[in-house]
Amino acid sequence: MTKVQLKGVRKDFGSFTAISQIDLDIESGELVALLGPSGCGKTTTLRMIAGLEVPTYGHILFDDDDVSEVPVQDRNVGMVFQRYALFPHMTVEKNVMFGLKVRGTPSGEIKQRLEDILDVVQLEQFRHRFPAQLSGGQMQRVAIARTLITNPSVLMMDEPLANLDTKLRGEMRRFIRELQQRLGITTIFVTHDQVEAMELADRVAVIFDGVLAQYDTPEALYQRPNSVEIADFMGANNIFDAQVSNGVAKTAFGDLQLDTDTKPVRDGTGRVLLRGEAIDLLLGEGEASQNVITGKVTAREFFGATVNYTVDCKGETIIVNEQSRRMVDVGQDVWLTIQPQRIWVIQDAA
Amino acid sequence: MWVQLMPVLAVLSVLFGGALVLAVMQSLGFAPWFGVNTFPDLSYFGALWGSWSFWQSLGLTLYYAIVSTGIALVMGILLALAMVRIFPGKSLYKYLYKLPLMIPYTVGIALAVIMLGNGGMISRIFAFVGLIGDPSEFPQILKTHYGWGIITVYVWKQTPFVTLTLYAVLLGVGRETEEAAAILGANKRQIFFGVTLPQILPGIVSSTLIIFAFNIGAFEAPFILGGGYPDTLPVVAWRYFNDADYTLQLQGMATVVSLALIASAILYSYLAFYRSFERRIGRN
Ligand SMILES: Nc1ncnc2c1ncn2[C@@H]1O[C@H](COP(=O)(O)OP(=O)(O)OP(=O)(O)O)[C@@H](O)[C@H]1O
Ligand SMILES: [Mg+2]
Repeated sequence: MTKVQLKGVRKDFGSFTAISQIDLDIESGELVALLGPSGCGKTTTLRMIAGLEVPTYGHILFDDDDVSEVPVQDRNVGMVFQRYALFPHMTVEKNVMFGLKVRGTPSGEIKQRLEDILDVVQLEQFRHRFPAQLSGGQMQRVAIARTLITNPSVLMMDEPLANLDTKLRGEMRRFIRELQQRLGITTIFVTHDQVEAMELADRVAVIFDGVLAQYDTPEALYQRPNSVEIADFMGANNIFDAQVSNGVAKTAFGDLQLDTDTKPVRDGTGRVLLRGEAIDLLLGEGEASQNVITGKVTAREFFGATVNYTVDCKGETIIVNEQSRRMVDVGQDVWLTIQPQRIWVIQDAA
Repeated sequence: MWVQLMPVLAVLSVLFGGALVLAVMQSLGFAPWFGVNTFPDLSYFGALWGSWSFWQSLGLTLYYAIVSTGIALVMGILLALAMVRIFPGKSLYKYLYKLPLMIPYTVGIALAVIMLGNGGMISRIFAFVGLIGDPSEFPQILKTHYGWGIITVYVWKQTPFVTLTLYAVLLGVGRETEEAAAILGANKRQIFFGVTLPQILPGIVSSTLIIFAFNIGAFEAPFILGGGYPDTLPVVAWRYFNDADYTLQLQGMATVVSLALIASAILYSYLAFYRSFERRIGRN
C-alpha cells in the first residue's frame, strides 16, 4: 500500500487560485475524507493526486517518491468520478475489463479477475448491460469495480455517494468501508457531507477556500475544532464569546470552569464551544455543583430518539440535546451544567 | 395528424418526388416536349453503361469523393480534438477555421487557381526561393486526373464542417471518460480508439455522409480544376445537357439517374454497415 503526501501544493487556474497551499500526509492504508463546501478545491486536490492536473507549486509524493512529473497512466491510482464516467459504448463487463486490457494483462487472468470483482460488487447478473440500463447505485458499483480490478495503490472517490438516495447511500457507505478495510487500500474520498466524512473516514481534511483548515480524526474535529468556521461546518451551534483568565471562562451567562490540565488555554479572549449533547439539563437547583447556568426553556424540537431544547440564558440561546426519555415543557425554569473537560475553547493562534 | 401534414407533404412530393419521377421517366425515353417518346426504353442506360468512358468517369467521381472525404475526416477529427483542448490563441483560431464555411465554393476554386496553378503564387514562391528554376517547372497540380486541385478545394471547404460537427459532439461527450481511461492506464492511442472514437462515431458517420453525398454530385470544382476527358459524372451530365443536340438531354438524365442510384447504394450500404456495427456493440 502507498503513503501519499502533499507538500506545499498550490494550484492556479490562470489568475484564479483554486488551492493556495495544502500540506497533507496520508498514511498507507488510511481512509481520508476531504471535506469542505462547494468550490473549495476538493476535486482539484484529487485531480492533482491522480495526475490529471499539475500543481503550480509544490510536490506530491507516493511512498516518499516525488510523482509530480509522473504521467497519469503510470501512477497506478484509481479514481471513481463524481458522475462515474463509465464508457457508455461498453457493457458492464467491458467497462470493468478495460483497465486490464490496456495494460496487456493475459486474457485468462482478466477473466479470472473479472469474475472475482463482479462477485465483490455483486454485479454478475448485470454484466451484459450498458451503463444507460443501470441504476445509479449499480453504475457506481461498476465504477468501483472498474477501478479496483486494476489493484490501484491509491483509491480516490469524488463524492461517490452524492447521486444516491438515502437508503442506497447508507448501503454503499458500509460497502465502501468494508471493502476498504478488507483490501487495506489507501483511500481518499471527497464529500461535503460532514456526517458521511465522520462515519467513513479515519481522518478528515477540512478544506476552506483552497486552504487546509484542519486535518484530524472525526472525533477531534467534532469535539475540538480549531476555528469557529470548522465548528460551524461540523454542525456546532453553542458558540459564545468568552474572556479567559486563570482557567475560567467568563461568558454572558456566567463563569465556566475549564479543565486546563487536558486542554490548556491562554488568558485573553476566546470562544467557548458547548456541544448540545454534553450539557445536562436539570429541573432543580442545587443538583449540580459547578458550571451551573440558569435559564428557561423557550422551544422544543422532537426528533424521535432525541430532543432539542432551546434554553434562554440571560439573553444567550443555548441548545441542549438529549435522549427523549422525558419531556421538559416549554416555559419551565431549568439549570444547565457541563463538565469542565467537555468545554472546548477556540482561540486565535498566538 | 395526416391532414395537418398534407400541405407540407404535397409540396415535398411535388418538389422531390415529382422531379425524381420526371428524371427517371426522361432517362427511360419519355420527353414528348422534344418530340421523343419511346418510353419505356432502356437504350439510354444501355448506351451509357456500355461505354468504357462512363465507368472511367464513375471511377474518377468516386475517387475524388472518397479521397477528399477521407482527408477531410482525418483533418476534421484532429482539429476537433485540438479545439477541445486549451491552447494560446484558441479564441482567434475558433473563428479562423470556420472561414472556409462562409466563403463560396467558386471563390475557393478561384483561390486554388491563383495559388496552386503553374505560374500561381506557390509556384512563384518556390521559384523565388530557388527550389525550382522557373514557375512553369512547378509540378502540375490542377487539371490532372489525380485531381489534387479538386481534392484540395473539397478538403478546404469541408474540413471546417467536419470539425464543427465533431467539436460539438466532443463537447457533449466531455473529457471525463478520457480521463477515466487515462487513470486506468490507457495510452493516448488506446484512449482515442477505445474511448473517444466510438463515442463520436455517430457524428463521424453523419458528417461523412453529408460531405460524401455533396462531393459525389459536385460540379464546379471538377469542371474548372479537373483534367478534362474523362470527366466526372456530374460534368458529363452537364455536357450532355449543354449539347446543341437537345435529345442528348435524355442521355444526360440517364447519367444523373445512374449517379443517384450509385450514390444511394453507397450511402445506404455505409449506413447499413454502421447500423450493424452499432448493433454488434449492443447499441440501438
Ligand atoms: N479547469 C478549471 N479552470 C478554472 N477554474 C477551475 C477549474 N477547475 C476548477 N476551477 C475552480 O476551482 C475552484 C475549486 O474547484 P473544485 O472543482 O476543486 O471544487 P470542489 O471543492 O470539488 O467543489 P464541489 O463540491 O462543488 O464539487 C472552483 O472555484 C472552480 O471554479
Ligand atoms: Mg467537486
